[in-house]
This record gives sequence, structure tokens and C-alpha cells, in this order.
Amino acid sequence: MRRVLFFGLIALAVFAALVYAGNLGWGPLVITREDQQQLVLVFGKPVSILIRPGLSLRLPLLSDVVTFDKRRLYLNAEPLPIQTRDEERIVVDNYVVWRIADPLAFYQSFPTGRAQAESQIDRVVRADLREVVGRRTLAEVLTTARPEIMESITKQSDSELKQAGIAIDDVRINRTELPSGTESNVYARMRTERERLARKLRAEGEEGGRRIRAQADGEARVIVAEATRDAEVTRGQGDADAARIYAEAYSSDPDFYGFVRGLEAYRKALGPGTTLVLPPTAEFFRLLESEGSRR
Amino acid sequence: MAAGRGGGSAEEEVRRSVRRTLANVVTILVCFGLLTAWILLGLYQLEPGQAAVILRFGRYSRTVTEPGLKLHLPPPLESHEIVNIASIEREEFGMRPGETTEPSGEEALEAAVQTSDNNIVNLGFVVQYKVKDAFASRYRVADPRSILRDAAQAAMREVVGRTTIDGVLSEKRGEVESETQEVLQGILDRYETGLDILAVQLQEVQPPGPVRDAFDDVLAAVQDKTRAVNEAEGYANEVLPKARARAAELAAEADAYRKARVAEASGESQRFTALLTEYRKAPDVTRKRLYLETMEAVLPRVEQVIVEPGTVVPWLSIGRNAKGAPPVSSSAPSAAPAPAAPRAGAR
Repeated sequence: MRRVLFFGLIALAVFAALVYAGNLGWGPLVITREDQQQLVLVFGKPVSILIRPGLSLRLPLLSDVVTFDKRRLYLNAEPLPIQTRDEERIVVDNYVVWRIADPLAFYQSFPTGRAQAESQIDRVVRADLREVVGRRTLAEVLTTARPEIMESITKQSDSELKQAGIAIDDVRINRTELPSGTESNVYARMRTERERLARKLRAEGEEGGRRIRAQADGEARVIVAEATRDAEVTRGQGDADAARIYAEAYSSDPDFYGFVRGLEAYRKALGPGTTLVLPPTAEFFRLLESEGSRR
Repeated sequence: MAAGRGGGSAEEEVRRSVRRTLANVVTILVCFGLLTAWILLGLYQLEPGQAAVILRFGRYSRTVTEPGLKLHLPPPLESHEIVNIASIEREEFGMRPGETTEPSGEEALEAAVQTSDNNIVNLGFVVQYKVKDAFASRYRVADPRSILRDAAQAAMREVVGRTTIDGVLSEKRGEVESETQEVLQGILDRYETGLDILAVQLQEVQPPGPVRDAFDDVLAAVQDKTRAVNEAEGYANEVLPKARARAAELAAEADAYRKARVAEASGESQRFTALLTEYRKAPDVTRKRLYLETMEAVLPRVEQVIVEPGTVVPWLSIGRNAKGAPPVSSSAPSAAPAPAAPRAGAR
């Protein structure tokens, strides 16, 4: 019993020591962490590929272990000037998310490691960018075709780098810059567009204003005209009523009315500056004449 | 000697067995002590808002999120890594809020974004995020922050590239924010970053400096348009009441005219009727009187010529031609000059 316990403890201690050594890269145990993948080499010859995390065995002393990153890796490329199909120049800034899909192929393609791989990725992605963006017009690159372009570059570079053990998860354009000449063209166009819009808005304002004014003027005119019409009708009624009243009164003695009205007309019509020619036989002078003859 | 040796050996035997037992006890104690010490190496403490990712022989075992004092298998059998999962991180891009000068350098490059109508707009935005999957953020992707920064810009540029400049500047801001958040979350999930985007907020959206005055002028034009319409409405509000007032005046005048005409007519009729009543009592006298009275009133005012039939008669002037002065009160003093005139004419 005591012996079992004792040897159990010893075994545990040895195991722990081996695991510890494995972590440091010594001994017969290899620990592959979640973010790692490893190659076991015997005299430089790959004998096993450790992709799944956990414990594995190897030949101690004679074998080497090479560890690779298993995570998605980020690579920011330098901005790249490209000419589009419509011969516009554009500067494209992109980044690449990639990972080591096949440690063996990767190790064989890039024996010196990740830096070498990154420069290769950069080269391939640049070439693909040039090609794919070069098939498009500037407007497409800037706006509508962007996701499409990114997807086809991703696919293309992924298939080109597959042999080297690299998987390209995403090539993404994060910025596109216009060269300064093009930029000032864009500004000039923006300015004219805005000016056009401003003019249109002001013209619309004038249109609306004038329409409202014209409507108001028209309405006002109709109101006054209708009122005038109604007023004339009322006046006419007044005249008619008056005529009826006059007629009723005067028709009782038309002759006397003619006399009185005539006299009244004289009063009104004959004023200063009027020259009146009267025959001596006029009624007014009759009296005078008879008086004179009497004298 | 043998006995002595024997006695000595028995004694020695006891002593030896005691020594062996002691050694065993010590060994066991030491072993247990070491074992306990080793086990205690697996202790770790977890604060609220933290998660511990536990790996066993390098392989993922579990994620612990309840805070407190915790124990895992002692290293190197298991290892732990503590990740903050509650704290909200913040990344800023492009123009800083409240900035009025043109951005320059790297910031300008970050700020300038193309819109769907091929305009350029300067913007600044903030992304807030936290870790939702502690394991993925540590073991699935290298450098998640750099990826987040670049992916956020790519997402924003993609979304703004689908929107017009007017939309970005005004009513579509909310849409741009939520769409960018969606696109960015999609990208990050595709990379298995284990990050959760909480918000994308546009802080500043401005037209670029060289064309800002033109944009301001458009805003002014919108105001001008509103003002023109308002002024016209003001004019209409003034003109229509005036017209209605004029209409009321016309109606009132006409009504007054009608009433006046009727009143005049009935007045005159009544006067005539009254006169007629008297005239019928003495027709000749009244007729003559009326005639003479009228002549009396009228003649002083006129220049008159009396014509004798068949002979040339000098004209007789009455009133202002004869006297050199106008008969100002021609009607009132009619009684005085009127009798004078015929007399003068007779001479």
C-alpha cells in the first residue's frame, strides 16, 4: 500500500517533470497548445504533423520540433497605387487575414519563417489587386463593386498560396485614396453639384413664392370683381326703386311735372359762363315789354 | 560476547527500526508537503468581469466565469489565462469630435471617405466593443485590436460607399451606423475574433474643407426657399383680407347708394306730391310764380343775349362781363341784380 502510494507519487512527479520539459521543448513529450501547430523532424526530415492540440510522443534527443502559429494572422500591406480600367489612378490600402493551413507545406516553402511568408503574401496580393482593380472603373472600385472585388482577390490569392500551405481568409480594402489631381477634380465636381442644387432650391423657392402671390392676387381680384358686380346689382336696384317711386308720384300729373322739372333743370344747367339766347317774346320779358310800351 | 552482541543487535534492531520508521514518516510528510504545495500552484483568483480560459496539456478544457478563489489541476498539467470580458473598449477613427480645422496626415486619410455619388466626406467615428468569447480572442486570432481597427474602417467605407453624401450628412446617419455595426460584426465573426461590437457612432460628418462653403450655401438656399414661400404667404395673407375689405366697402357703398336713391326718390316724390296738391288749388298763379322765381335765380348767373327777331340787337351783358367782377354770390343776392338786369337791357 505504502509502496503503491510511493511509486504513484514518483510516477506523477516524473510525468509532471516530463510535461514541464515538453513545454520547454525537451524530452519525449510534445505539448501542442490551442494556438499552435507543430512539425516533428528527425534529422531534418518531417515525421509527424501535430495540428490538434494536446499531448504527443516523439523520439527524444534525435528529433526536433518546429512550432507554427495556428491563429488567424493580420498583415497590413503598404498602400498601393493602381491604375483602373478608365485610366484613373487610385491608391488602395488593404489588409490581409491569413493562417498557416498546412504546416508541412509552409515549412518547406518558407524555411526561414513567417517574415518570408509575409513578403510572399504581399507580392501575391498586390499582383491580384492590380489585376482585379485594373479590370474595373474608378467609380466601381470606390463604391458598388467593392465587396465583389475583395471577394475575388481573396479567392484568387487563396488558391495561389494554397501550395505554400497558406490560407487567405480575407483581403479587405480599408481605404482608397484619390491622387491629389483627381481629388481636386472631385472637389470641383462636388462644388458645381452643390451650386446647381442651391440654384435649384432658390428657383423652387421663387416658383413657390410667385405661385402663391399670383394665386393671392387672382383671388383678390375675383373677390373685388364679384363685390363690384354685386354692388352694381344693388345700385341698379336702387335706381329701379327710385324710378318706380318717381313714376308713381309724377304720373299723377305729368304736365305739371314737366314744368317743375324743367325749371329745376334750368336752375342746375344755367350757370356762370353760359350764354343764353332768348327771343324777346320770352315769357320773362313779356311783362317788361308791356311795362315799356305803357311808358 | 555473543550475548552482548546479541543484546546489542536487538537494541540496534529496535533503534534501526525506529530510525527507518522515522525516515519513512519524514519521507511521506515531505512527499505530501510537496504534493500539497504543487496542488496549491493550481490556485488562482478571478475578479468579477473576468474569465479564465483553462487549457489541459495545451488543449482547451473550459472557461470559468464565476468570480472567486479557484483551483485547477496544478501546472504544467493545466494552465489558465485570465481575460477581461466585461470592460468596454473604445477605438476612435478619423476626425475627433468638435474639430473644426482640416485634419491632416494619417488622420486625414482615415477621415476622408467616398460616398456612392463619388463625393468625399470627412468623418470621425467611435467603435465600442467587448470580448464575448475569451477563448477565441486569445487562441483564434493574433492581434485582434489591429484587425478591429482595419476592419472597422473597411466596414465604414463599404457602407458609406453605398450611401449618398446627402444621406451621410443628414438623415441616413443612423442607418450608416447600424449597417456598419452589422458589417463589422460579420467580418469579426468570420475571423473568429470573439469580439462583440456594442456600438458604432458617427461623431463628426462634414464636407471637405475646400467645398464646405458650397455646402453651406445649399443650406442657406434651403432657408431662402422657405423664406420665399413664407414671404409669399405673408403677402397672400395681406392681399386677401385687403380684397375682402374692399369688397365689403363696395357692398356697403352700393347699399348706401340704393338706400339714398330710394330716400331721395321718396323725398322728391313727396315734395312733388305736396306741391301738386297746392298747385291744383291755384294752378295759374303757382305756375307763374314758379317760373319767375326760377328766372330770378338763374338769369343773374348767365351771360345772356336778347334777340329781337329780324334785327341786330346789341348784346346785353349781365354779371361779371359787365361789372368786371364775378358774381360770387350769384344765387343769394339774386333779388337785387335780377331786376336791374332787365332794366339795363331795356335802355
